[in-house]
Amino acid sequence: MRTEAEIRESLRDWIVKTNGKIQPEQLNDETPIIEQRIISSLQVMDLIFFIENLSNRSIEVESLKVGVFSSINTIYDAFFQSNS
Amino acid sequence: MTEFIKTVKKLCDASVKDYVNPYSYLDWPEALDIEQWFTSPELISLFGTELYDRMTEAEKKRLSFYEAVNFFSLNINGEKPLVQGLAERLYRRGNEETTRYLHHFLDEENKHMVYFGGFCRRYAGKIYPDKKMVFPRDFEQGEQDFLFFAKVLIFEEIVDVYNVAMSRDERLVPVARQINLLHHRDEARHLVFGRQIVRDLFINHSPRWSDETRQQVRNYLGSYLAAAWKEYYNPDVYRDCGFQDPLEIQEMAYQSAHARAHRKRISNGCIHYLLENNILDQEPAL
Repeated sequence: MRTEAEIRESLRDWIVKTNGKIQPEQLNDETPIIEQRIISSLQVMDLIFFIENLSNRSIEVESLKVGVFSSINTIYDAFFQSNS
Repeated sequence: MTEFIKTVKKLCDASVKDYVNPYSYLDWPEALDIEQWFTSPELISLFGTELYDRMTEAEKKRLSFYEAVNFFSLNINGEKPLVQGLAERLYRRGNEETTRYLHHFLDEENKHMVYFGGFCRRYAGKIYPDKKMVFPRDFEQGEQDFLFFAKVLIFEEIVDVYNVAMSRDERLVPVARQINLLHHRDEARHLVFGRQIVRDLFINHSPRWSDETRQQVRNYLGSYLAAAWKEYYNPDVYRDCGFQDPLEIQEMAYQSAHARAHRKRISNGCIHYLLENNILDQEPAL
């Protein structure tokens, strides 16, 4: 099972790779990735698949609260907190 | 009578003439052996990859079943917000002429979900869930209406190429062919309506948008086209077929040279229309 630090690092790597322009040092766990358009609404589908793979569980999009994808912190709290 | 009103009248007449009862039209087999062709092999997301070439015929056919479930699911997932958006636009001030056709559009989209859902529930026991999310934002005047119909058009243009090919493919299980044919019969009309309303909305509204908004709209549509395609490479399908790393397979299939050429070829008509009407200013990266 992955540690919290490994999960956060995987999320950071994915966001940097998907954005393609941002440098790793420009992204921390509080960076508002949707608000700052680092990740677009259209890329959230890929992010969901990535989180499902990382957390080994299925995500029901219809039951998600607004703001769960705001930052690495909110993603970690919503999908990994009870798993790690 | 304007060109648009004439088109709306013709489409309404055609919809009335081609009216289908979705509950009695199809003969649903009690059960289906899933080791048959449900998706044309050439349209399977892994087609053209080494992985696909290594699969046995039985494995390919099982994959073709789950790809059909995915194709029908992504249609349901696209049609749900479409029905919602069409209903919101019924009887809106200024929409008097289009409302007549919106009734048919809504009715036909609901029927499609009856066919698609009927297949997925009967033979797969599930629908692959929607993973898309929409975040609320502000729009300039006419931008939201334009984007709504432009997204519908892009989505339906891709789907229709698949429908036409599969409705003619005699290798497919009859019920899969019939669903593709029924869908295409309605979509052919929706595309005529969609192309015209998208062009008219762009002509009427985009000159008043800021240059920044116009560019954002173009960028968004290009990204939307790429995202619409991503749904054809569903990791859940690969998981159901027993593959170990579905996400890796998705990436491999999506990035393969064959898949890129396939997406370009299938999207060609739609992209050409959007470029020709200055709605897009460059070919999106697919």
